[in-house]
Order: sequence, then structure tokens, then C-alpha cells
Amino acid sequence: MASMKFYCDAERCIECNACVTACKNEHDIPWGVNRRRVVTIKDGEQGERSLSVACMHCADAPCAAVCPVDCFYTTGDGIVLHDKDICIGCGYCFYACPFGAPQFPESSAFSSRGKMDKCTFCAGGPEEDHTSEEYKKYGRNRVSEGKLPLCAEMCATKALLAGDADVLSDIYRKRVINRGASAFEWGVNQLKG
Amino acid sequence: MDHFLPKRFFNCLARSTSTVLLSLSLFLPQLSNAAVPQKHEDFPQGVSAINPGSELWREVRRRDGSGEFNEVNQGLLVNELLHEIRKGQQMPQGTSQVDQVDGGVLINAQGKRWALFRMTTLADYSAIAIAVIFVIITLFFVIRGKVPIEGGLSGNVVKRFSDYERVVHWTLAIVFLFLAISGLILLLGRPLLIPLFGKDLFALLASASKEGHNLFGPLFLVSLIMMLISFGRRNIYEKGDLTWLLKGGGLIGKGHVSGGFFNMGEKTWYWMVILIGLVISISGLVLVSPNFGQSRLIMEFTHIVHVVSGMILIVVSIGHMYLGSIGSEGALEGMKSGYVDIKWADAHHDRWGKHCHEQDLIVSAEEYARLQGQTGNISEPATEQGK
Repeated sequence: MASMKFYCDAERCIECNACVTACKNEHDIPWGVNRRRVVTIKDGEQGERSLSVACMHCADAPCAAVCPVDCFYTTGDGIVLHDKDICIGCGYCFYACPFGAPQFPESSAFSSRGKMDKCTFCAGGPEEDHTSEEYKKYGRNRVSEGKLPLCAEMCATKALLAGDADVLSDIYRKRVINRGASAFEWGVNQLKG
Repeated sequence: MDHFLPKRFFNCLARSTSTVLLSLSLFLPQLSNAAVPQKHEDFPQGVSAINPGSELWREVRRRDGSGEFNEVNQGLLVNELLHEIRKGQQMPQGTSQVDQVDGGVLINAQGKRWALFRMTTLADYSAIAIAVIFVIITLFFVIRGKVPIEGGLSGNVVKRFSDYERVVHWTLAIVFLFLAISGLILLLGRPLLIPLFGKDLFALLASASKEGHNLFGPLFLVSLIMMLISFGRRNIYEKGDLTWLLKGGGLIGKGHVSGGFFNMGEKTWYWMVILIGLVISISGLVLVSPNFGQSRLIMEFTHIVHVVSGMILIVVSIGHMYLGSIGSEGALEGMKSGYVDIKWADAHHDRWGKHCHEQDLIVSAEEYARLQGQTGNISEPATEQGK
């Protein structure tokens, strides 16, 4: 069974925020809700790095553990999804999530947050695939069409990768080895003069 | 041949100059370093960013590598959250174009611990505390039974609470009960009620509980303030309260212990309600208004404070309900009608009872029946007039 994961390569991400925009556009997400965001560490300093973050579809998801109404479930592909019909909008998943992924369409007094919304790995929700109901609540279901999440598909520098964990780690391993090799080559050339 | 010598000379000079320059450039920084005394601890040590990846990861986890995090990690979650809140204010965070709460924080390191704490420790101990208090009450009722008034009730009564005071009490009681039940549904519903009702039905109940809890929560603070105003003065501790405590309040020992209008136990319960109630209200207001953008750490910390203080009040309130109803003969009358039997007053609040005797405040049984009947008689013509 596949285990779907995101991977963001900090050496490649250029903080263009295209993944954020693509996601919002693909799923027709309302204002104020961002299923994905790019975080920049040490902005403007030496060692500046950016990472694109969304729901990381944890194997042992804290949001699912803390939900008082137990609205989360993990698909066979290891994608963490939730049922908006059950969600009561308490916000606990947001406090528990390591990545700040759960989003709420409202934030007014008396804790009115509305139903939680988060990255679905472009896999929709519990509704029947490709129904308007599903699209309205969870956005497009690309996985059922055999496609990967759009954010990763259209990433210009291929910093953001999505897919089976084994495939992703293979790609990343090759990148690391390649980087190490080029650093080594650079050093040898320096010595050669 | 004339110009051979100068050329060699210049060559030699150039070579030696370059050697000198090279050695200078190599050793001068060290010389200057050695020459300038290191006044500051944070003297620039040069660039040590060999692996930007690990540096990024340190930033991500917001760990300074001093082992401080791990030390704190061993302690209480509440302490750790407070520590993180303080640290978070000092340490620079990342930035994000997405404007949301903690948008610049990559990893919320405490979230999972908080989630586990809520679902295991907090939920378990809450359920155990409620079970234990019910067992204690049942045992107490089996052993002591309803604490009777010696010689039975006389029928002659004395006014104890005004209508306003009773309204305040019952408003607070009803709001509190509603908040306690809805809060417990949210805390314990997943392990206890989902197996019974199923997820869909429970989601309806939980949603109603959550919305009700949030809407009626502020009402608790209002009725708490009313409680503070109407009952506050009579609940100030006075002489004789300590002896009440030393004698076990009449519950543990035999016979009744001397007490004023309110005895020591009632006063303690009152101040518990006021003080813990204020903690619950303030933490509840923080939790109920995410529109002000509190960080997750603050919310997690406040949530723990809210639940723990709420559970203390729930558990003690069950004891209060028992003592005010089936635990003690004649006690509920005071909050039902506002009048208590004079024998009850003499037994439980003898100093106040003595005061009633002296001031001749006692209403005879016939007079009391007439009063009760009269209020009914008065209201009936009033409605007729209204027609």
C-alpha cells in the first residue's frame, strides 16, 4: 500500500508562493483559508531557507487523536482526511497540529470558526468522488483521477514533491548525493588549481 | 646584460614582497586577534554554516541546542508551555506571506503532547474524579443517611434568603450545570458516548454542546459577579470558623457544630466558587475569542487551566448538591421557598438561630401557611384583573 507524503526541498524552494495560489485556485478556497503556506526562516539573513507547508498527512496524526468528535480518518493511501459533516469547529486540531495545517473560514467571537478546512492531498472527502457536494466541501479530487496534488505538480523548481514516500525519498536521496558529489568535485578542482 | 641585474633584482623583490604579503594576509588576522583582547563573549567567530540544512532544522524546531528544551521536556506540560510562551516571545520566528495565527512558526512542538495530555491524562483523571466523588457520596449516604434534625422539624420557620438571592443562586446553578454537562460531553464524549450513539448523532450533540458552552459561558461570569455582590459580605471569615473546621464541620464528628449565618464549610465553598469561577471565566473568555489571534501555546495552556479548574468545581459542586438536598434534612427548603425551619437554623447555624430568636423573626407554622396561601390568592385575582 502506498503511503502518500509531501516533501519540500529547502535547497530548492524560492518562496514564490505559487503552490499556495495553485491550491487556492484548484479548490476554490474562500478568503482567509490557506491550505498551504510558505514559511521563510531567517528572512534576509545568511542561511535563509523557505519551506512550503500544508497538512503532512501524518501516520500518527495528532489532529485525529485530539478531535472530540473523531471526524478524521486515514485512507488506504495514507492520506489524512476529515468529515465536515461531523466536525464541530472547536479548533483543537489546530492547537495539536505540528504544522498549523487546519484552517477555519471564520474567526469571530464566541469561538465561531466554522467547519475546519485543510489540505486533502487533492483527494476530496468522504462524499462520493466527483460530486458537486464533494467539490464544495473539500475541493477537487485529483487523486481519484490518477493525478498528484497540484501544488507539487506545478512547482517551478520541483522543490515541493508529492507522492509515495518511497519514491520521494529515492528522489531526495539522489539529490543529496548529487549535491555532495558536486561539492566534492568543486573541492577537487580547487586543489588542482 | 646591463638590464639583467635589475630584472633579476625586481623579480626577487616581487617574489619576496608577495611572500611577505601572503604571510601577512595569513597571519595578520591572527595577530590582530591576539593583539585585541576579547572583551565580548560574542566575538565574531566567522561563518560556521557548514550545513545550512541542520541550521534550518534547528530554527524549525526552535531549539538552541543547549539541552534546555530536553530538561524542560521532563517536567509538567503546563510549565513547558509557559516556558515556550516566554521563549517564543524572545526568539525570532519565521515569516510567511500567509497571515494566520502562528503563520511564521514551522513546527508546533508542544501540540502533540498537549493533544495526548488532553485525551489521556486530563480525560482519565476527570472521569475518575467524578466516579470517586459519586462513590464517596453513596458510601456517605449509606453510612450516615440523611442527617436529621434532633427532635424533628417544628413547622415554625424563619426567612433565610430573599427572592433576589434565590434567583442569583439558581441562575448560577443552572448556568453552571449546563456548562459542566456540555463541557463533560466535549471532554469525555468521544470515548464514552460515540460507542453508544455513533459518530453522526454524537456530532449533533457535541456541536450543540460546543455552541451552547460558548454562548452561555459569559453568562456564568455575569451570574458569578451577581453572586459576589449579593452573598459576598456574609461569607467573610470570622471568629469561630476555625473551631468549626477543627471539629470536622459536624459531618465527620457527632452532633452539630456552632456556626453563624454561613458556616465555615459554606464559606469555603463560596470562595471556591468565586475564585475558581473567575479563573474558569477568564480562561474561558481567552478560549472563546480566537478572533484576537492568541498563539496556539497560549490556547493550549489556557485550555489546561480551564479544564482543571472546571473539574475541581464540578467535583466539589456534586458534594454541595448532595449536602443541600438529600444529605441534610431541611436544607433544600432555604433555597426553595426562602424559609427554613427554626430547628434547622438552631442545629446548623446556632448563632444565627439565636439571633433570630432574639430579634423575634420566627414565623409560626400557621402564619407561614397563610403567607404561602396568600401569595397564591393574590396572584389569582391579579391574573383575573389582567384579563
